[in-house]
Amino acid sequence: MSSGEHPPIAPLAAAEELVLEGETAKGAPGATYGIPGRERGDRIRTAIAYAVMFLVAVLFAIPFLWSVSTSFRTLADTLAGFSLLPRHWTTSGYHEAFHTFSFGRYTLNSAIIAGAITLSNLVLASLGGYAFARLRFPGREALFMLVLGTLMIPDQLRLVPIYLMLVNWIPGWVVHLGWHDASFINRDGVILIQLVSATSLFLMRQYFLTIPRDLEEAAKLDGAGYFKTYRKVMLPLAGPALAAVGILMFQGTWNALFWPAILLQDKNQFTIPIGIANFHFAYTTLWPPLMAASVLAILPVLLLFVLFQRYFVAGVAAVGVKG
Amino acid sequence: MAVAVGKRRQARGMTNERLREALVGYGFIALPMAFFLLFFIFPVGYAIYISRYDWQIFKGPFVGWGNYRTLYHDSVFWHHAVRNTLVYTAFVVPLEMALGLALAVVVNQSIRFRTFFRAAFYFPSLAASAAIASIATYILASDGLFNTILHHLGYHHTNAWFSQQSTALPSIIGLNAWTTSGTVMLFYLAALQAIPVDVYEAAAIDGAGAWRTFWKVTFPLLKPGHFFVAVVSVIGALQMFDQAFLIGTPSGGPNYSTMTMVLYLYNQAIGSIKFGYGATIGVVLFVFIFTVTLIQRLLFGRPEVA
Repeated sequence: MSSGEHPPIAPLAAAEELVLEGETAKGAPGATYGIPGRERGDRIRTAIAYAVMFLVAVLFAIPFLWSVSTSFRTLADTLAGFSLLPRHWTTSGYHEAFHTFSFGRYTLNSAIIAGAITLSNLVLASLGGYAFARLRFPGREALFMLVLGTLMIPDQLRLVPIYLMLVNWIPGWVVHLGWHDASFINRDGVILIQLVSATSLFLMRQYFLTIPRDLEEAAKLDGAGYFKTYRKVMLPLAGPALAAVGILMFQGTWNALFWPAILLQDKNQFTIPIGIANFHFAYTTLWPPLMAASVLAILPVLLLFVLFQRYFVAGVAAVGVKG
Repeated sequence: MAVAVGKRRQARGMTNERLREALVGYGFIALPMAFFLLFFIFPVGYAIYISRYDWQIFKGPFVGWGNYRTLYHDSVFWHHAVRNTLVYTAFVVPLEMALGLALAVVVNQSIRFRTFFRAAFYFPSLAASAAIASIATYILASDGLFNTILHHLGYHHTNAWFSQQSTALPSIIGLNAWTTSGTVMLFYLAALQAIPVDVYEAAAIDGAGAWRTFWKVTFPLLKPGHFFVAVVSVIGALQMFDQAFLIGTPSGGPNYSTMTMVLYLYNQAIGSIKFGYGATIGVVLFVFIFTVTLIQRLLFGRPEVA
């Protein structure tokens, strides 16, 4: 990627290269270089690498497997000392999580919030990304730098101002749209403040920049307008970028704790992470339903990850190293 | 380049077509731009404004730097929130970098199932923090898996790791070093793949072993990667909230041992409904993080992965 054309966020660009161009193995030091006598050393090194990787993978998997195992136990089983597998398999943990502790409701809420934010990001970021990549208008570069500048503004700084705006101002504004008695210290607020992100917009723009112009020119000659070109030519070509943005947004909002912890006060609107937090504060040692809820929180992301692994890499640079 | 061409055309005067293109462009970015201005740019100024008032449930009198003075003398903030956050950052960043680099080097070998191993190491970074925290609480409980294993190794530890004042923060450090290592691994992987193969070939011809090659060749060549990962990790660590909230409960217990800066901000703003004071903490934290970023920019130029 040429450095002049792109904004100074190289990691994003690098991640994007990983996503969109597939994995490259150049520079892998494990390859043999045809030097006599190196082969045996390489084989030993490879064997050690396998052993280490396998061991670490098992270590990394143990917490997850242990939680799955516990989610199928009875409460008495969890107190009866160590056993690798449940002594009596039961789904009562899941049953309790769903019915007694409302995790069915929370799952639905999580899906609604994550789904709405993902959808709105796809629409707004692809439209905006197309404009920033292709349409010429005065102030384009400056406005795009402004968008990227929002990445420097941490959520904590926005906490109080946004909370007060959602309480005091926005309900008054939406009255003009015919929306009376609106409140935003709830699910609607969580969705509203995440309708689009600089990351989604950036990823879409970068991808549109890589699409050759010929196709658009052809569409233009056919008399297609800008929206039609976007809709019929550009969007169908932007599949990988849309997938990356969609997955990134869904995973992030599905897992999110910060804004939901601030804005969700009605138990009926809790997401799974907030539900887990509250459950955890209230019933510290009811392990089977808590582990069932945790499995529930992890499973959709695991599924997405298994199916669309390569698109996840885009999220790395975007979200940074989150604890 | 498109922009240059556009400028030349502009000089010849804006045709109707150009005007239309510009208007459509503004139309397409109107919603996102309004959104960014309203929910990102404006809140920065508004936060500073709020921080100058004694603003609780309702806006109170203007207090100038009053909130900042109060914060300066706030012992819970400095002795617990800031201290814990700095201790956390000082330990978790080197740990996650070391672990992430080690994983990256291992999965960068050209061997089979590489993709699977990368995925396995990366996944903890993707799982919901709430789920991971509750699993960790379970494993580190007084009669949990971890104490059971320790017991079999001949070490008797009977307390829950998260509920003891001396072990709560170190346990969170260990937990997060693990969950963040996958992300760090991916950053390092990108940096590793930018190192040209001939460098390794040269080292091999010189007869350098794997260990020596790593320390003498790979590690120094990763310098830009180290800086980048360090900065991103430090920024992330300074903003730690999820695990403190989940594990320490919102009060940062036991006895403030897991209180972090962001959790304290949350407590003041949402828990105690002190918006002016909360905004003040937010501004100070922002200055903190901004300074770190700026120092990095000034010292090392543009952050680069590769």
